Amino acid sequence: MSWRLIKAELLKLRRRRGLLAWTLLIPLGVVGLQYGVLAALHAGDPAAHGPAGGVANLATTLVLLGTLAPVAAVLVGATAGAGDVEAGLFRDLVVTGRSRRALFAARVPGGLALLLPVVAAAWLLAVGASFAFAGGSATPGLGAVLLGGGWALLAAALAYVVALGLASLSGSRAMTVGVMLAWLFPVSNILLSISQLGGWRRAIMQPALERIAPSQLVPGGGGSAVTMSLAVTLLVLALWSIVPLVAGAWRTQTRDA
Amino acid sequence: MDAMESPDVVETVGLTKRFGERTAVDRVDLRVPRGSAFGYLGPNGAGKTTLIRMLLGLTRPDAGSMRLLGRAVPEQRSEALARVGAIVEEPHFLPYLTGRENLEVVAAAREPAAHGRIPGALARVGLAARANDRVKTYSQGMRQRLGVARALLADPELLILDEPMNGLDPAGILEMRGMIRALVAEGRTVMLSSHLLDEVEKVCDAVAIVDRGRIVAQGPIAELRAGAAPTVELRTGGDQMGVLALLAAHPAVAEAVGTTGGTSEAIRVTLAPAGPAEAARIAADLNRQLVQAGVTVYGFGLARASLEERFLEITSRLGTEAVA
Repeated sequence: MSWRLIKAELLKLRRRRGLLAWTLLIPLGVVGLQYGVLAALHAGDPAAHGPAGGVANLATTLVLLGTLAPVAAVLVGATAGAGDVEAGLFRDLVVTGRSRRALFAARVPGGLALLLPVVAAAWLLAVGASFAFAGGSATPGLGAVLLGGGWALLAAALAYVVALGLASLSGSRAMTVGVMLAWLFPVSNILLSISQLGGWRRAIMQPALERIAPSQLVPGGGGSAVTMSLAVTLLVLALWSIVPLVAGAWRTQTRDA
Repeated sequence: MDAMESPDVVETVGLTKRFGERTAVDRVDLRVPRGSAFGYLGPNGAGKTTLIRMLLGLTRPDAGSMRLLGRAVPEQRSEALARVGAIVEEPHFLPYLTGRENLEVVAAAREPAAHGRIPGALARVGLAARANDRVKTYSQGMRQRLGVARALLADPELLILDEPMNGLDPAGILEMRGMIRALVAEGRTVMLSSHLLDEVEKVCDAVAIVDRGRIVAQGPIAELRAGAAPTVELRTGGDQMGVLALLAAHPAVAEAVGTTGGTSEAIRVTLAPAGPAEAARIAADLNRQLVQAGVTVYGFGLARASLEERFLEITSRLGTEAVA
């Protein structure tokens, strides 16, 4: 893996102002907005609204972050996967003689290097707010903080690799964003609600993610309709990571540049 | 033979690429000599870009073999392309990055030394002062020059430029010509594809003429020109029809035509293929015959065949053969 290629990928992503703005705004903005509203409500009517901080509100933040950080991840992954092809730059990278596999491989850490620090910062902001505005509420323990952060990062990273693979496969950023957002929100939820699908619903990424959500913050995996063993959960998550990457690498290898 | 000692930087044998029923590149045997400016010349749709794309590993051939800088492609593609710079069709960049950042992105895919070549490459193409501006503010000509700078990051033994004059204004074309000749003077080889015969003739030492995917002539430009039928251009007084009939009756004349219509006295005479000395002898003989016949000759000269005439001659002959 070439550090120079990874740095170049990061440069390409972070210098896109629109992408950078949304990547920062979605996770950080949501956390900031949530605690801002909760703090204002508490300040306005402390009797009706409890403190904005504390472990209960941090759990809500984690669910929000687990839902919205993947949206930022989709934007970054779609751009990392299809940006070079759409701009016509892929051809110029291929004619350097550098292997296409290496060009693809650099997109994985390159995009994560932009995304994960933002998600981590959003989580740390939430943790800070949960202590700062705790009032008399219980504050989260170190285990919950670490596991919650790890889980948010995992949710974002998974969405990133799926979007990256799909964008590398399709060569279209817009199509990838559309398909991924449709999948993450209405389609997955519709499929999960179809009980006739039975155990096949375990193949959907969201229940697997909910299964390993930190129990200190999201007891019972968020009440998912689908139950599965830890082994099946890990298998599902591994497949959601590996299959898109293999498909994207294959297309990058075989695409006419 | 050691790869570095190969006298030809590009060698293809029977290279073929088909798109469905259409054969874009048809059994091409190409040799580009080291240290030359080589033109790959043909009309639009002749398969020039497809051949370049195959050489660079952008698309796979259906048949044939190729070597770049003495190395088999695609087997040793990475080693070969490490010393090849290329612009395929128009150069593309990320418009939101600066010129320098665009070069950094491509330098990252090359050897570590490529990064150190960025300032020199930008200076060489005259973009040092605009290097920190976003590419979206660049003109077409500046993008073309930035494309050359990007190709130079490889410190290339071979530069492959696909239609490098496209989009350039006259001053830009002049600069590009000078840059290509300077690169050749440094011992590099420049292979350029073009449909602009005049440009190729001005810049290149050798040429391959391609038509409908096939190479129809290949060699040094002087040799190709010599293969063209010599022509005589003259201006006469008197009855032009009579003069044309007199000229056409000469056994060494292939064709004699008034060049600007029936009322003009200008005549163009195409001789049967002949070397320079023989053509001069025939021209003198024609002049003598005209004078002896009482025709007033105002102007008379043996024309130097241009590459354009040779190109049209070859391709129109192919067209006739195809119809036949």
